Amino acid sequence: MTTSLPPRADEPVVTDPANRTRLAWTRTSLAFAAIGAAMLKTSPVAGGAVLVLSVPIWAVARRFGRDLDVRARPAELRLVTIIVVLVAIAALVVALTGHSQGGVGRLLHES
Amino acid sequence: MTEQQPSPAAGPEAVGSGVPRSAVPASAVPASAVPGSAAPESEPDPRFTLANERTFLAWSRTALALVAAGLGIVQLLPPFKGVPLGRHVVGVPLIILGAVLAIAAYWEMTRNQLALRQGAPLPRSVLPRLLAGTIAGVAAIAAVVVLLSASR
Repeated sequence: MTTSLPPRADEPVVTDPANRTRLAWTRTSLAFAAIGAAMLKTSPVAGGAVLVLSVPIWAVARRFGRDLDVRARPAELRLVTIIVVLVAIAALVVALTGHSQGGVGRLLHES
Repeated sequence: MTEQQPSPAAGPEAVGSGVPRSAVPASAVPASAVPGSAAPESEPDPRFTLANERTFLAWSRTALALVAAGLGIVQLLPPFKGVPLGRHVVGVPLIILGAVLAIAAYWEMTRNQLALRQGAPLPRSVLPRLLAGTIAGVAAIAAVVVLLSASR
């Protein structure tokens, strides 16, 4: 039941899952950078802020996997959550106050 | 809901890591898997922790995509004729859902990690239902907005 065979020498134990996780972090940082770049067109300030916020995510991705002592890292994951919420708030502000054609901001400005 | 997913104590195959059971070190098997023992918390198999982290990151990217989609609808779509705030009615809920999804993903990740530590069955995820329900609602709203716009 609790007995298990030792891993064979050619059998990946933690390295492959760690690599997949590092790639997931890299994809996440790229997603942040992409939405920041897209927001630059409509709101340079918010877009720039999101671009800057993608840097710490990228730093986590770079730092990840240097050792195989894998433990849960709630601080880094909480950082991702906070950044996503900040991006959502920035997007909400841009959506509600932006001066796109027929937008709320323009309607308020014209009234 | 009281539905439960397979226990991580059932082996890595049960949670889709794809790594053979024989590769699990004996120390990684939760103490609760041993009959007659208590359920103390212990550090789970690293692969389970990594899989939990990847799932969280995937949900975070989904949340980010929802925010981007909502913003794109509000800022880039041409206005609906006769429905002045039609784009906002469709786009803003997606942005809010993105924020809610990010927070819920973190909550679920911590809950799963606790279950892994205790060797307990993983609780059923609420995120797919939340995502599917909200997207269906937004789709219904979008259909109404489009029909209203077409009828004017």
